[in-house]
Amino acid sequence: MAPIVKVSNLDKYFGRLHVLKNVSLEVQPREVVCIIGRSGSGKSTFLRCINFLEEPSHGTIEVDGLVVAGGEKGKEHRQLIHDLRLRTGMVFQDFNLFPHMSVLENVIEGPVIVKKMDRAKAIELAEKNLNNVDMLWKKDEYPNRLSGGQKQRVAIARALTMEPRVMLFDEPTSALDPELIGEVLNVMKKVAQEGMTMLIVTHEMGFAKEVADRVMVMAEGEIIEQATPEELFENPKDPRTRALIDRYRSGSN
Amino acid sequence: MASIADQGAPTSQAELLYQAQLRKVRIFRMHVGITWVALLLIIVFFFSGQNFLGIKTISLDTDFISRNLSFIAGGLGETIRISILSILLAILLALLAALGRLSTFPPFYALSTFYVSLIRGTPLYLQIFFFFLALPQIIPAWAAVPGLWAGVLALGLNYGAYMSETFRAGIASVSKGQREAAIALGMNPGQTMRRIVIPQALRFAIPPMGNDFISMTKDSALVSATGFVHELMWRATKVGRAQFNNLEALIVAAVFYWGLTLILTYFQNRLEARMSKGDR
Repeated sequence: MAPIVKVSNLDKYFGRLHVLKNVSLEVQPREVVCIIGRSGSGKSTFLRCINFLEEPSHGTIEVDGLVVAGGEKGKEHRQLIHDLRLRTGMVFQDFNLFPHMSVLENVIEGPVIVKKMDRAKAIELAEKNLNNVDMLWKKDEYPNRLSGGQKQRVAIARALTMEPRVMLFDEPTSALDPELIGEVLNVMKKVAQEGMTMLIVTHEMGFAKEVADRVMVMAEGEIIEQATPEELFENPKDPRTRALIDRYRSGSN
Repeated sequence: MASIADQGAPTSQAELLYQAQLRKVRIFRMHVGITWVALLLIIVFFFSGQNFLGIKTISLDTDFISRNLSFIAGGLGETIRISILSILLAILLALLAALGRLSTFPPFYALSTFYVSLIRGTPLYLQIFFFFLALPQIIPAWAAVPGLWAGVLALGLNYGAYMSETFRAGIASVSKGQREAAIALGMNPGQTMRRIVIPQALRFAIPPMGNDFISMTKDSALVSATGFVHELMWRATKVGRAQFNNLEALIVAAVFYWGLTLILTYFQNRLEARMSKGDR
C-alpha cells in the first residue's frame, strides 16, 4: 500500500540550532503512530513541520499525493501549503478554541470560511462530529464555560469537520487535569477505530501501548527507534528509549 | 462549633460574614453619595448670591443665563456630532496604524510609525489650527470645505495616533495559538486577521476606546478656537465675551460637558461590566 504521509529527509534549524536532523517517515493509511521522546527532542517541531506551522529548512512533506518541499518561496509554494493544510487536521496542547465563538461556530468556521461550504451543510457535518465526541449538547456554549477535556473534544471535532486525510495531535492531553485525560483519550481511540490516520505526539505511554500501531522515539532531533508498541515497550533497543520507558513505569507505579 | 450540617443554612457563619461585608460596601457607597451631594450644594451656595452668616457669595446673572441657555445648548448637537465623526475616523486610522505597526512590509511599518510619531510629537491645538488655517495655503479648495470637517480631520488624526497603541496592544494580546489554530484550519493571513484576531483584539480595546471617546467630547472644545464650528464652547465664549458674562457662560458650558461626561461614563461602565463577563 502506498503511504499516505511521507516525510523525506526533513531538516529544521532554529537560528543556529539544528532541531531536526534528516528525519524521514512513512505512514500508511489508517495507521496510528505515536511519537514519544523527552521535551526538546524535536517531536513537536516534527509534527508542526508536517502542516508547515513550522517551515522545514530542507526536505519534503507528502500527504495524500501532494508533495511540498521546505525552504521554498512564492505564490505557488503558498498555494501548496494551503492545500497541504486542508489535508491535515491539527489538535493543540492548549486547545486554541476561538473564545468569541460558540462551540458550533468554532466547528463550522473552517468549512464555511476556508472551504466556502454551504452553512447548512457545514452545520449538519459539525453536529455529526460534535455528537461523535459527545459534545453536541454544548453546541451553543462558549469555550470559557467548558472544562479542559470538553474543550479538547470540541477541538477534535473542529479538526475532523475539515475532513482531513491525516490528524496531527500535539500533546493533546498535556494541559489537562489528570481526571480529564481519559475522556479525551477515549475520543481519540474512537477516531482511530473509525479509520483515521493519526500522528500523535504524547507522553501517555499507556495510550500509545493500547492504540498505536507503531511507536516512534525521538531524541536530539532524530528518530532513534521505532517499532510496534509490544516490541518497543518489552524490548527497547536504545538506552535512551529504555530510560524513557523506565521513567514512565516508575512514574505510574 | 459549626458542623457540616450547618453549612448552607441561612444563618451560617459564612452567610453572616458575607452579609456584614455587603453592608459595609453599601454604607461606604452611601457616604460617598452624601458627600458628593454636599460638595455640589456647597458650589451651588457659593454661586447663589445669598448673604449667609456674613459670607457674601457670588451672584450670577440669572437673566443672562435664561436668555442665552438655549443658544449655548444649541451647540450640544454639534459637539456630539464632531465627536462621533472624529472617533469613527480615529478608529479607522488606529486600526490601519496598528496593523502597519505589526506588519513585516517595511513601507507600511514606516508609514504607521511615522504617522504616530508626527502626530504625537505635536500639540493637538497646533494640529487643529493647521487644518483650519494652514491647509488652505497648500490646498486653496480646502477653504471652501465646512469647518466641521477640518475639526473632524484634526481630532480623528490625533486620536487615531494615540488609539493605535491600544489596538496594537489588543492585537498583541491575542495568543499565538489562536493564529496557529486558524492557520491549521487553512485560513489565509487576511481571514485569520478578520475572523480570529481582530474580533478578539476589539474586545480588549473597546473599554479604552470608550474612555477615548469621552475625552474626545471634551477635547472637541479646542476646535472652537478657530471660530468655524459652532459647538458648545464656541457658543459659550461668543455670548460670554459679547455681554461680559464669561463666568455665567462658562459655567453653563461646564454643566453641559459634565452632564454629557456623566451620561457617557454610565454607558461606558455598563459596557465594561458586560465585556468583563466574557461570555461573548
